[in-house]
Amino acid sequence: MTEPDSSTWGVPPRWVLLIAVLSIVAAEVGGGAMGRFKIELTRWARDRMLAQPSVHGLVGVRDVDERILDEALVKFDAGLRLFHMHAEGMGLVIVATSMIAVTVIQHTAARRAIVTLLTVGGAGYPVGYLAWSALIPTYGVERSKTIAEWFVWVPFGTATIVALWCLAGFVAVRTIKSES
Amino acid sequence: MIRSRPVRRPPLGVVLVALLMLALGETAGAAMSRLKPEIQRYAAARIAANPAAHGFSGSAEYDDEVRDRAIFTAEAGLSFFHLHGEGVGLVLFFASALVAAVVPGRRARGVLYALLTLGGLFPLGYLVYGAAVLELGRDAGVELAEHWILTPLGVSAIAGLAGLALALARRRA
Repeated sequence: MTEPDSSTWGVPPRWVLLIAVLSIVAAEVGGGAMGRFKIELTRWARDRMLAQPSVHGLVGVRDVDERILDEALVKFDAGLRLFHMHAEGMGLVIVATSMIAVTVIQHTAARRAIVTLLTVGGAGYPVGYLAWSALIPTYGVERSKTIAEWFVWVPFGTATIVALWCLAGFVAVRTIKSES
Repeated sequence: MIRSRPVRRPPLGVVLVALLMLALGETAGAAMSRLKPEIQRYAAARIAANPAAHGFSGSAEYDDEVRDRAIFTAEAGLSFFHLHGEGVGLVLFFASALVAAVVPGRRARGVLYALLTLGGLFPLGYLVYGAAVLELGRDAGVELAEHWILTPLGVSAIAGLAGLALALARRRA
């Protein structure tokens, strides 16, 4: 990690940049796979749902069941799309915010804590959308959403939000100090 | 091994605006997810408090449809704010970093920072969009946000980015 300097950028640790780039790569691969294997993914999810009718509330009446399956498949697809979008965005957020943190925060422990929270939170949060999609066929839409929410979105999202506001506080203080 | 020389950064005020947009965008996303029922209740209450603005007729069926459309539009405003806060925050960060690194001349950099920073406030227009829809009615609220906030701030962002592109082209030539 480069030491902060007043007028030039600091460079974030290599592991941070690696995680950010891997997040973007995973998003790109996810986007490509969604397009290339759309039929296979839909077929897999549909077969898994048909194998567990009680989880999805399937009643054996074609008209009713098809509507339920369609709704679940829309959510399954939405989860994959949101993973693609968020992993790309959060990869860039990690690069930008960790650069700001290593440039602006002089206190070593605070800098490390904020960079770690930004990186872990930013890279972990989008995985929740992937987990949601993967769990829908087995646990149903609402239960899998609850699992993803409490095991991924809430902890990783909170880490990112807390780190961003702390970083904003550090930048605000530095801005005020440099003005006075 | 190739080593680059230190790269100049933009002023902290510009970095702070970019960071605030990212933080607000993230927080709005979390609020949308965790507080959806509360937001919908608040929106319905504000619409009920402004019946004339929403053109309520007294017919329950028609009024319910108008209310649902207004709530949907207000929620869309919050969703756009989340999306644009994240995106425009990053655009402001990377564009201003480029200005600092490659644009010669203090005055030119100052103008570009000002344009980009104003443009960086563009997502706030969607917060106004959501609130104005509830207070003034759907069409009047959207018109107000688009005309007075989104358009000027969007033009500022475009002008800043065009200026940066011009500076990069002149530097190459």
